[in-house]
Amino acid sequence: MDEYEERQSLLGDEGEGSSTSGPGRALPAICDPSHLLHRVIVLVFMCFLGFGSYFCYDNPAALQTQVLQDLNLNTAGFMQLYAWYSWPNVVLCFFGGFLIDRVFGIRLFSLLCLTFSTSTQIIFATGALVNRFWVMALGRFVFGIGGESLAVAQNTYAVNWFKGKELNLVFGLQLSMARLGSTVNMNIMGWVYNRVAVLVGSPGYTVLGISLMIGKYYTPKVKTYNSAEKILHKEQGKTGEVIKLTDVKDFPITLWLIFIICVGYYVAVFPFIGLGQVFFIEKFSFSPAEARAVNSIVYIISAPVSPVLGFIVDKTGRNVVWVMIAVVTTLAAHMMLAFTFWNPWIAMSLLGVSYSLLACALWPMVAFVVPEHQLGTAYGFMQSIQNLGLALIAMAAGAIVDAKGYLMLEVFFCACICSQYFLLISLCVYENVGRWTLLIFRIKGTTSSAE
Amino acid sequence: MKGSCDSLTVNMAAEKKSSCRVFTLTFQVFVLGLSQSFYIGGEVNKRQLFVELNPGSTSVPPGGDLLHVRAVGNNDTLHFLFCSQGAPTLLLIHTNSSSSDIKVDWPLFLARNTSGSLKVEPESSTLYSTAVVFSRLLEYDDANDTADPNSDFFPPYELQDFTWSRLKLSGPVAVLCGAAATFANGSLCLQLSVFESEGRGQSLPHLLHSANSSQLGVWLDGVLPRATRSRFLLELQAVGGAYPLTRVDTSRSIDDEFTPSIFKVSQWVSSLNGSSEVLGFVQWKPVAYSQSNPTLEDATPCSHTNPRLQKGEMIMASSSLIHAFYTEPETFGLNVSFGLAGDPFYNSTKFLGWTMLVGIGSPPVDLFSPLVIAVMAVGLGTPMILLLLGVIWVSVHKRGTDSTTVYQPIN
Repeated sequence: MDEYEERQSLLGDEGEGSSTSGPGRALPAICDPSHLLHRVIVLVFMCFLGFGSYFCYDNPAALQTQVLQDLNLNTAGFMQLYAWYSWPNVVLCFFGGFLIDRVFGIRLFSLLCLTFSTSTQIIFATGALVNRFWVMALGRFVFGIGGESLAVAQNTYAVNWFKGKELNLVFGLQLSMARLGSTVNMNIMGWVYNRVAVLVGSPGYTVLGISLMIGKYYTPKVKTYNSAEKILHKEQGKTGEVIKLTDVKDFPITLWLIFIICVGYYVAVFPFIGLGQVFFIEKFSFSPAEARAVNSIVYIISAPVSPVLGFIVDKTGRNVVWVMIAVVTTLAAHMMLAFTFWNPWIAMSLLGVSYSLLACALWPMVAFVVPEHQLGTAYGFMQSIQNLGLALIAMAAGAIVDAKGYLMLEVFFCACICSQYFLLISLCVYENVGRWTLLIFRIKGTTSSAE
Repeated sequence: MKGSCDSLTVNMAAEKKSSCRVFTLTFQVFVLGLSQSFYIGGEVNKRQLFVELNPGSTSVPPGGDLLHVRAVGNNDTLHFLFCSQGAPTLLLIHTNSSSSDIKVDWPLFLARNTSGSLKVEPESSTLYSTAVVFSRLLEYDDANDTADPNSDFFPPYELQDFTWSRLKLSGPVAVLCGAAATFANGSLCLQLSVFESEGRGQSLPHLLHSANSSQLGVWLDGVLPRATRSRFLLELQAVGGAYPLTRVDTSRSIDDEFTPSIFKVSQWVSSLNGSSEVLGFVQWKPVAYSQSNPTLEDATPCSHTNPRLQKGEMIMASSSLIHAFYTEPETFGLNVSFGLAGDPFYNSTKFLGWTMLVGIGSPPVDLFSPLVIAVMAVGLGTPMILLLLGVIWVSVHKRGTDSTTVYQPIN
């Protein structure tokens, strides 16, 4: 709850801040796009965006028991709420990114997405309120359309504002905020549910619906401020170049390598976390509660650590080297889990740190290999591929465990990570001879090589 | 069951499987072959199996069958005797002659009051013997879902009082089913499989077996539990002459590829005056399954108590095979309990299946399958090699382009 109030008060301040900037006056520092303070304000709103969107995304998980009880669902049905979000995004992110670049421009698109996802949260909540599962599924589906494209827009925004400055830090902060959103949601929604249950007097799907409504009410508010701020202050220098769909095939080879590294890395982290609990219980004789704790340490670590790592990457440059370090430590963590009986807290913490490091070093790299007018499409594509990879590998991982056990799964993940290593080497080799040498291999956060 | 003395010989000319005893890891990768697994420890031997039902009897013996499987090796014989007169019992006798046989004095055997009605011929060839008796099935009401079998026990089912079916034989596999009066349509079944060579169980938990061991599957199917939250335990007695099975070792392994999500294996072994040499064993993985065609989701963990010394007279009274063969049996008993706190109760599927191995010598040890080794070698090795090549390539390339800035000696 503290979290909530803190945000609210912050918002209040920011609201006043922006109202002071009347049109046509000499811009105070806070409104001057080139000034650090201004970027900080933008950053705050961008963080809210991530916060809000993950807050909504994990709503069902936070209320899992209540959803299962009140709506008489089984676990498979419950998982559908997530499937309805994920699968459309395999395609939609890509088009989302393209629409940013080609049709709407980033401002209009963000606003559209915001309206979309906000209204669909209401659909979702209404579904719960009238006890119709399909309405909830529909809500999640439409939320998926808005939500994930919004993430693409968010990444593009980050690059627009922070490229050549604090980009890595910003990506780190965004990740951290997303995790914070999930966590706050996990902890607050149960409380909201109970509160509403007391007020209404009869727990049930009515209560569920109302709690979801409340949750929804709060997030869109954050988001609207966000977009308003952007409309007020971000003047977009439009270039004459426009992307065509066919440009995708002309994406530089380095971008494709980054895509593949992204997928290959993420599939070795998230599907494992999904299956991890049983592994910790059986192999390390953990209690279910301990297993859940060690499983979630990856997320818990990434919240505080990723901004710090982002800052370090900013200061040192050399994103590729950092990604490589992340890949090697991940490999070490997986090998520990696979081949030793060492306490999994070590391996999982290591995984948490390296995951954060990769997130804040890899995503900004895209900005340095594609021209600005293709950015949205590139990020959209990356997200699409990532979604596809995660969905497929999650299924494959389940099948591997069923047939060949966890050792095989870990070996499979190790192989995935190793192939990342190989790709990184090719990236380096390619970079070394290509014209991007300076840009990627030795980027300093401060050199404005971004033009 | 038709005749009593039908004896059949099971195909013994199994195709030759190359055995690999060179265990250099790098070498294995190239010798993947198609063999299921590698097996260290002892001979990779083969045995000829001769199956005989009620040996020497002229009529169908009342009260249950006696199955005799003679597993003949190059210079020794393993006699597997499986009997449902009284509590179901598996007796293993290891002899040092490939022509030894079993002699049953049927009138005495059926009278169940004298030892020595079942003998090995020649008697001096006996090296070692061990037996496992399935004595009781215990049931308790786990009302609080703690899976702690200490209280609320229902009266135990004495397996010697069950009505046992005739043995259903198919090759070296025998199935025996029995039921207590209150089981409704349910039954407790035991399946004995004897093997002529090394291999692995067809269904989960895919235990690795050698020609020196036999596999016993136990399942409890369709039994009406006495409470909705009932859980079960099985009481096992290990009977031996000189060296009974006294302790259970549980070892951990990083390898769960054959039994997914199970990283432990338990071995109930006989120790020879504290030395590490194992004469006989009962081996199992601590997992049972709640479906007859199990998948990973049907796994339910099981645990065991420490073996405790039992009174010999009790076991002689309950199993006629023990009474007939041993004069002064040394007996240790333990309970295997199925399910942990939070696991579904028996009532949810009304099926519980568990598998164990009974054999002589050291118990089989699972090794990494060639598949895992191959994936490791290709997955981890190739990138390393490429990395090395890459580094070399880059450094060569660099030297080519930066030839002007080569380091000069300082002085």
